Amino acid sequence: MSLSSSFNISFLAEAGGVSPALFTFLAYTAVVFLLAVIANYLRKDGNFLREYFLGNRRLGVWAFALTFAATSASGGSFTGFPSKIYSHGWIMGLWIGSYIIFPICTMGFIGKRLNQVARRSGAITVPDVIRDRFRSASFGLLAVALIVFFMSFNLIAQFKAGSMMLKTLLTGVGVFESGVTFLRDSPAAHPDPAYLLCLFGFGLAVIAYTTYGGFQAVVWTDVMQGIVMVAGVIIMLPLALYLVGKEAPEGVGSLEYATSRMVDMSPPRRGVAVFRSSDPKGNSTPLGEGSWIQIPGSDEGAEPRLFKVIPKQALEERLRERGEPWIAVLEIISPGDRRQVVENQGDRVRSDFILGDLELQGYAYGAEDGRKGVYVTGPGPSPSSDAGFLPLSLVISFFFMWAISGSGQPASMVRLMAFNNTVTLRRSIFTVAVYYSLIYFPLVIIFCCARVLMPGMDAESDRIMPAMAVFLTENVGAGWLAGLLIAAPFAAVMSTVDSFLLMISSGLVRDIYQRNMNPEASERRLKRLSYLFTLLVGGAALLGAVHPPQFLQDIIVYTGSGLAACFLAPVVYAIYWPRSNVEGCMAGMLGGFAAHLSMYVGGHFANGSFFRPYRLMDFDPIIVGLLVSFLAGYLVTLRTPPPPEDLVRKYFYKPEASTGA
Amino acid sequence: MKASGNNQEPANAPWDPVFLDSRREALVILLLWVVALLWAVPYCYLNGFPETFVEEEFSTVWGVPSWLFWGIAVPWLLADVFTLWFCFFYMKDGSLGEEASVDSEELA
Repeated sequence: MSLSSSFNISFLAEAGGVSPALFTFLAYTAVVFLLAVIANYLRKDGNFLREYFLGNRRLGVWAFALTFAATSASGGSFTGFPSKIYSHGWIMGLWIGSYIIFPICTMGFIGKRLNQVARRSGAITVPDVIRDRFRSASFGLLAVALIVFFMSFNLIAQFKAGSMMLKTLLTGVGVFESGVTFLRDSPAAHPDPAYLLCLFGFGLAVIAYTTYGGFQAVVWTDVMQGIVMVAGVIIMLPLALYLVGKEAPEGVGSLEYATSRMVDMSPPRRGVAVFRSSDPKGNSTPLGEGSWIQIPGSDEGAEPRLFKVIPKQALEERLRERGEPWIAVLEIISPGDRRQVVENQGDRVRSDFILGDLELQGYAYGAEDGRKGVYVTGPGPSPSSDAGFLPLSLVISFFFMWAISGSGQPASMVRLMAFNNTVTLRRSIFTVAVYYSLIYFPLVIIFCCARVLMPGMDAESDRIMPAMAVFLTENVGAGWLAGLLIAAPFAAVMSTVDSFLLMISSGLVRDIYQRNMNPEASERRLKRLSYLFTLLVGGAALLGAVHPPQFLQDIIVYTGSGLAACFLAPVVYAIYWPRSNVEGCMAGMLGGFAAHLSMYVGGHFANGSFFRPYRLMDFDPIIVGLLVSFLAGYLVTLRTPPPPEDLVRKYFYKPEASTGA
Repeated sequence: MKASGNNQEPANAPWDPVFLDSRREALVILLLWVVALLWAVPYCYLNGFPETFVEEEFSTVWGVPSWLFWGIAVPWLLADVFTLWFCFFYMKDGSLGEEASVDSEELA
């Protein structure tokens, strides 16, 4: 099958006669529900909360390794990350640089000791550990408040991310479109009925299986999701290399050829334009989103110019100013990319239009005429920053961001409290190291190949993962396989959402209700409340996502780095420093929160938006937050009285010594 | 953060071995992070951020830009080898202890 005859993203709806996306989603949901039912059925008698929120600390190697890996790899790994690779090229290998040591840092740095401290205190949640370790109810409540604050926003953003992904995948599928039409015609129509339908489909499924099955269901589904994710990458890599290599000259390797093509690439230009039909009677079919238009070059002998009609949301403001008949367009600049588009699209490239007016804007960095190598070197092309995508200060920031702030995520900490023994921890760290090696660098390779194979997706790069899945599988005559590849991003976003959901409900039931309001609550009552709160928190997040906040990715970044700025220093001090006390660690938590927040508030005044944070000395707010948190914790601890001796004995001495003293 | 530096405890305090092992391992991991940072970032910056791109000077290894190959891909492999050694030959096993009762006096 030739490239030109096969590719069309709308074929997503038609591959093999059945939509692989819809089939995948339904099959996937069915299996997830089955796992939840089994988890619920097998739940042992005993302490309900420990079982429901922590799996009774029984996780073995595969369960622990894969639930940790799947939870850490949020939906972004399969949507935002591929999109960024497509948009910025090889520099993304450095952006993700600290993943070389991510597993050993995030699991090995605090894992063994946190698990031990949690066992000694009988803790089920992260606030539990903090409260017991320092014997301070108010510190525990502060931790719950911060977790609920950050994670609620994050949960809403993740719900939106999952729904947007589902919408991308299902657009064009018959049953889905009928549902959308029905909703559009209903009296209380939502501005985006397709999104609403996906939100309820995705949201209700996750809430239901998480509520019913609790932590065990989440872990089991994480295991399945983790396997699906790595399988997706392992299948895509050889397919991408095979297809890109088909055009390589004799003796030139596939990836070598792809990189040499990227050397010649220039970023596209984006803007608004007016096209008029070249047919004197004006009988041309109107240009829709995704249409390609070729017009002759302005000078004699010049190459033809190639434009793509992109979604109007990309340039909504400018289109509103201009009005009809202006449309949003992308112009492909690189000759190699133009040839690739013509080869892929064949007859679908329109030449029955002439260019009327045109207003284009180039990238702020990397778009100079004749400039080469921008996609294969640093700092990488950037549409908005004249310092490029990844200047040195951000390289360093991201080295902190992944490995260090990854250690400070409460959702990961809960998993570190759940493994059964140190042998499991040791084996799991290595398993996750191999697992991440198989996912992240190969993803960089796959989506660098996507840049070569599928030019012109720059304005819709969020869709590059499903688009590439369909492109690769159809070009090797295996359209049915697209379903499996598309399942990978589902898997990633679901496994993140379900664990966040349990984090919040465990905070409410265990840390607030049981430990502060009703310590004598019966198992039966706690069980009911756990189900109820998981359901309520999920429902509230789902409703919050009906009219979702605009800055999706920014909210995820803000909450992720904010949690690390609040929790890493206090937890590290709590488990490794016998002298640490409640005053110091609370100061560390509050200091980290305030410093991190102040960078964002500063961004509101300095850059005009809360989500364009102020960068002190060009560094990301996470670095400022972590430094302040560690420093405040250290200094306040030294200036306040030492902790009670019995607490130090309990958590730092051998068990017999601590009890016998 | 030395345990013996905790001035309220006797010098021969019976510290928990899991605590001491974990803290030593954490320091090794911190050192690994610093080594990775000092390798990856300067190497990539010095070799992969040219002021002006000269095509003839640009090279690849197995198709990966050589600055990224030596700056990230090779260290990634070495980090995995280090992790193997760390997990199977360095990291100590130890009893994490029995589960404390959640009905203990500190519940409320």
